[in-house]
Amino acid sequence: MTESLLTGSAQVNGVEIAYVDRGEGDPVVLLHGFPDSHYLWRHQIDPLVEAGFRVIVPDLRGFGASSKPQEVEAYDMRTIVNDVVALTLHLGIQRAHIVGHDWGAAIAWMYAFLMPRRVDHLAVLSVGHPGVFSTPSIEQRAASWYMLFYQFPGVSEQLLRRNGWRLFKEIMGNEGDYQRYPRELAKPGALTAALNWYRANRSPEAELRVERNFPPVLAPTLGIWSSGDKALLEEGMTGSVKFVKGPWRYERVEDASHWIPLDQPEQVTKLLLGFLGTERAATTPSRRRRL
Amino acid sequence: MRTEHADVAIVGGGIAGASAAAYLATHGVSVVLLEKQDRYTDIVRGEWIAPWGMREAQLLGVEDAFGLGGAWEIREWTQWDETTDDPETAETVDMTRFVPGVGGPLSFPHHLVCELMAEQAADNGARVVMGARKATVGDGPVVRYQTDAGDHELRAGMIIGATGRGCTVGRQIGVTMATSVHHWGGGVRVEGLDDWPMDVQAMGTEGEKMFMVFPQGDGMARLYINFPTANKHRYRGEGGTERFIADFELDSLPDRGKSVYAAARPIGPLKVWPSVAMFPERPIVTDGVVLVGDEAGNADTVLGTGLSCSLRDTRTVCEILLGDDWSPSAFEPYLAERKFRMERLHFGAGIIAKLHCEFGPEAVARRRRVRELMAENFAAQVTGLLNMVPPEDVPEFGFSEFFAERLFRERV
Ligand SMILES: Cc1cc2nc3c(=O)[nH]c(=O)nc-3n(C[C@H](O)[C@H](O)[C@H](O)COP(=O)(O)OP(=O)(O)OC[C@H]3O[C@@H](n4cnc5c(N)ncnc54)[C@H](O)[C@@H]3O)c2cc1C
Repeated sequence: MTESLLTGSAQVNGVEIAYVDRGEGDPVVLLHGFPDSHYLWRHQIDPLVEAGFRVIVPDLRGFGASSKPQEVEAYDMRTIVNDVVALTLHLGIQRAHIVGHDWGAAIAWMYAFLMPRRVDHLAVLSVGHPGVFSTPSIEQRAASWYMLFYQFPGVSEQLLRRNGWRLFKEIMGNEGDYQRYPRELAKPGALTAALNWYRANRSPEAELRVERNFPPVLAPTLGIWSSGDKALLEEGMTGSVKFVKGPWRYERVEDASHWIPLDQPEQVTKLLLGFLGTERAATTPSRRRRL
Repeated sequence: MRTEHADVAIVGGGIAGASAAAYLATHGVSVVLLEKQDRYTDIVRGEWIAPWGMREAQLLGVEDAFGLGGAWEIREWTQWDETTDDPETAETVDMTRFVPGVGGPLSFPHHLVCELMAEQAADNGARVVMGARKATVGDGPVVRYQTDAGDHELRAGMIIGATGRGCTVGRQIGVTMATSVHHWGGGVRVEGLDDWPMDVQAMGTEGEKMFMVFPQGDGMARLYINFPTANKHRYRGEGGTERFIADFELDSLPDRGKSVYAAARPIGPLKVWPSVAMFPERPIVTDGVVLVGDEAGNADTVLGTGLSCSLRDTRTVCEILLGDDWSPSAFEPYLAERKFRMERLHFGAGIIAKLHCEFGPEAVARRRRVRELMAENFAAQVTGLLNMVPPEDVPEFGFSEFFAERLFRERV
């Protein structure tokens, strides 16, 4: 019943990661967010393959057909970045274009900080650089996942499932793959795993722990934000320019909810095709030895 | 002819049969479920389940099949009726607090929920046979049936008959039904109700129609109309669905029902049926066969408790099947509980049908009187409780002739 385009699965970084690996050419890694899976990118995979890319699309840990550890600590951002690194290595890839949406964009940013030489071009959808102060106030936020987790840090699996998943459906509205999500999340351990992404990374305490020492992003970077996003502000994306030393491009997409790859599939494909592989990175600062 | 074996064979994979298969399989019983359809489609069955029915679903461990099959919790019930002067002042009941741990009733696409229950059964080891035709039950007990692959013979310790109001298994074991039809009804699933409040279900009577709107979330809803038997062909033939939807243009509804009649687009077939009550004339348990769900007899669908009853049947019967004694006497508690339950439901359905599914000036005057009585004395609304809580929890006085007499008495 679950739609899947997966072509393989590998044991990496202590978990089983399922993925799509199709096409030949420069590798591009597509990272989904919450509560999606590789299937979020279904409209982009074929055109990218046809355009001459090798397209790698994992189910990130906790989602889809990949392992779903039940402990919160297993969802630390660095651990997830390591999953992606280990997977690309496993597939014999040294350097790739990294594209991410939602949590996948957060992972992509982190990847660019930690592994600058493994990133060719970087494309981030919806979620801007973590250094930008762009958290909308509670009042500005419509019902969304973000609101849920800021306002109800104690949200429980049981609360979301009650009364025919009423609260879940209410929050999700009719955006993204809203009809598929509950079915996916009802699989054993899936809801806990998905919520653990937030529990590990967006607890209110984590919010207060402002990290300011992000290394500049050298890769050419494309930021995409949609005007129909109910949870995230445009400034979050446009403000990212301050943190990007490589060439920066910003695109605003109209008539799309938060789920840009689903709502404007052709436009997203076009933006990616027009961007990936077209720019040069800023030069890496020479590594001086400390005396 | 292939011979197969199972502890329990279930004939009919509707809400009763599929939930039984899911429950038994989860508890380690070997089960074969025979469903006549090749795949689940909308055959227009109930799509509104009472809170007490959802409690049964929880006890059976099949509640997720509802939520994931597209169920939507409805929170409020507004009675918009021609006897209410202004739609804005219609009375609303909060339905979320009747059964602890459950919430309001759910409205859902029936066939998708059955499909998920069958899938749950299969995931837990049951064998689900779709496209099982010509099921015949014999002594042994044994079920013979056909599929595209040929003839099959299935030997089981017990057979559950769950073929619905067609009573296929029941007829084969000699259970005849007395029936009565009070009115006719029709239903269709629609989408596009973007301006209808998804928290609110509507019920009411106007002219020769008793109408119901049960939202299913995301602008979808199940619409029903009950109407007099004398007029049973009103939606027959060309344009029937359009006429049906157009009939939701009603003075009783806010904005004359515009958010329904002008917006609804059908997403399933329109089916019209006699609203029949069935009373079994012989015991519904024999040596080797037990009937559940509509196949065991049902109350008039106007009450909206058929699904809840089916799940209660399933739970009671399956709990017995988890024990060692499968003799007819082991099922006596089921027979006793069901008899008590159905007496109450038939009685309640009689009151509701008389109140809301009779038409014309006399019936309108009756509804007006009863409304006044209910406003004066809250206890007169007791019958409405049958939609929320299990029949045994409804106060006894609601089932007395004295109460009915008092409710419908013409005052001078
Ligand atoms: C229009 C309508 C509206 C209703 N509204 C409500 C409501 O709002 N709320 C409520 O609670 N109840 C309602 N009901 C009643 C409710 O739908 C039934 O009580 C309930 O569906 C009974 O479930 P069941 O499994 O016993 O039978 P069914 O739902 O009839 O299922 C029987 C299954 O067995 C299969 N089958 C039939 N014959 C055979 C055979 N020979 N071999 C193999 N398989 C077979 C059928 O294909 C079907 O899948 C309504 C009923 C109708 C008709």
